[in-house]
Amino acid sequence: MPDIRRSVVTQLLLGYGLLVATSIAVVSLVFYFGTMGVLQQNVDRRLIYIANREIRFNMDHPGALAREIDRQLGDSINSDTEIFQLLSSRGQRIVGNLDTWPSLPDRGPVTAHVLRYGRPALARLLRISLLDGDTLIVGWELSEQELIGRLVLRSLAAGALISLLLIFGGALFFRHLIEHPIAVMRRTAHEIEAGDLSRRIPVASSDEFGRLAMDINRMLDRIEQLMDGVLHVSNAIAHDLRTPLSRIRSRLEEAVRSGDGAGSPGEAAVAAIGEIDELILVFEKLLQIAQAESGVHANAFEPVDIRRVARDMADLYDASAEAAGVQLRAVDGGPVLALGDRNLIANALASLIDNAIKYSGPDSTVEVRAVHAGEHVFLEVLDDGPGIPEAELPRVTTRFYRIDQSRNLPGNGLGLSIVSAIASLHGGRLALLNTGRGLLARIVLPHQPAG
Amino acid sequence: MRCLVVEDEPNTSRYLCNGLHTAGFVAVPCGNAVEAQQLVDASAWDVVILDRLLPGSTDGMALLERMRARGDRTPVLMLSALGSTDERVHGLRCGADDYLVKPFSLDELLARVEALTRRRPTGNGETRLQVADLQLDLRSQRVTRNGCPILLQPREFRLLEYLMRHEGQVVTRSMLLESVWEYHFDPQTNVIDVQISRLRNKVDKEFDVALIHTVRGVGYRLSAVAGDRGA
Repeated sequence: MPDIRRSVVTQLLLGYGLLVATSIAVVSLVFYFGTMGVLQQNVDRRLIYIANREIRFNMDHPGALAREIDRQLGDSINSDTEIFQLLSSRGQRIVGNLDTWPSLPDRGPVTAHVLRYGRPALARLLRISLLDGDTLIVGWELSEQELIGRLVLRSLAAGALISLLLIFGGALFFRHLIEHPIAVMRRTAHEIEAGDLSRRIPVASSDEFGRLAMDINRMLDRIEQLMDGVLHVSNAIAHDLRTPLSRIRSRLEEAVRSGDGAGSPGEAAVAAIGEIDELILVFEKLLQIAQAESGVHANAFEPVDIRRVARDMADLYDASAEAAGVQLRAVDGGPVLALGDRNLIANALASLIDNAIKYSGPDSTVEVRAVHAGEHVFLEVLDDGPGIPEAELPRVTTRFYRIDQSRNLPGNGLGLSIVSAIASLHGGRLALLNTGRGLLARIVLPHQPAG
Repeated sequence: MRCLVVEDEPNTSRYLCNGLHTAGFVAVPCGNAVEAQQLVDASAWDVVILDRLLPGSTDGMALLERMRARGDRTPVLMLSALGSTDERVHGLRCGADDYLVKPFSLDELLARVEALTRRRPTGNGETRLQVADLQLDLRSQRVTRNGCPILLQPREFRLLEYLMRHEGQVVTRSMLLESVWEYHFDPQTNVIDVQISRLRNKVDKEFDVALIHTVRGVGYRLSAVAGDRGA
């Protein structure tokens, strides 16, 4: 048995057990005393009836009561329970079936021990003073009532015992019912603590525990996903940053040893600065993603005309498109409003346009448009390039992820992660769809009604 | 040119002062807000470089607000490790003339300091800009070089206007994106370079003397004379 203070389940069951046991005790007592009271009232009513009958008889036939009592004692009706005792004014027995009797009060029946026909018995006795100075005691032996009382007590005791057994058994059953799922959860928690983050709580039912388990599992999924992200980033950092760092290092080392025609220290420093600037860019992007993901911007959002942003970004990239032989168009129209940060939205769109120009190749068309669709606004970049292989689609927004065939193109694999992070910061998302004629990159944002 | 450098981190401060000194500034370092307050009150400065976060009860932002409240219009370039758009907007609203996020390159800082100190008030009835034989008419939106008209798209016109207004100064890519396109983010691609190269094709290609010069690793400079730095 675990320490009571440390188990809510035990406390709960113990508490309820006590409550039920007390209830049974109270009900039993009330039932017992109620039954006994009713039985006693019946006896009392009978005694009063007999007493009244004898008084009337005594009034109608003065001096004949002794004979009448004697007759009644001998008539073998109720002869094993009835008690009559007629006493003279001096307290001597005239007629009756009691050998000893206690002194009795003037009013009301009492219960007392008597000796009847030489046999001890418990009886209910009523004393009446007659007009002629004699005293009559009428009574009723309570053997039957005693028997009933004992029977009731025995039944109640048996019932209570069965109830207590049920309580105890039920408590054990309920404890198992509650402790089992908790134990399963704790076991899973320990396994996860020990390092196996892939463990999940088995969901065996749809009750509160089942729902809690599902909630915890969803939370674990999210944590695992984030952990994977972190792991992926640290792997990628180890991978992608080590290369430029070792390049910088070897170049500087060479410059320090110098003199052997490997380039002047000045050139090496310039090259190193260039490489370091690249690294700073990568870190800035990572920081930007982290910032967007933590939602630090959201308090400074204001209505942004995203169609204007679409026009401006198309305008910014027109020269790049021209140089790449790509036709870049922004679809015109009235304002389309979204609540957000103008620069972040522009940054996201710029990334998408940049990708579209870079990947769709010469003689393709890239279309930028902002459309209002019910509760949402779409900021879309549509190209007629090769698209993204379906299998790669879910992964391209992962940090540092690069599709194999794009590894030779410039980029750090952070662009779409940032777009995705910016979209979710605005309560939206980034959707990438292969349309059949090219890729459709769509930033979905909540619509901001004008005014 | 006198420049006050309010920066508590000694290495950064020394790096800034050396750079400014090389660029021809008299740079005075100062490590805390109280001292900075006294220095600002005591004499006139051409530009103040102000770190946003300073030790002690007064930070850079409070110092700047106090300056502006007293009507001090000295150009202030704010430096900060806090790079979010909110922070930037907040800094500019508090009266900073420019806002630069750490880590930054010295060239970017110098280009911006130069732009601040040589800033000319715009739109004061000036209708025509001229550099060598290149003329830009703000009213008719026409550009000619050596008398020949050059056809520019509206944004190219603004790009050229900005370069001409900063004649002889180095302007960085992010300065161009901020001023010409009015967006502040780091596109991290060569998008500005491509824009400049297209403009260059129209402005310089047909002529003997190139006016738009690339300043390697920093940005661009429009000037009648070639040379690595126009300062």
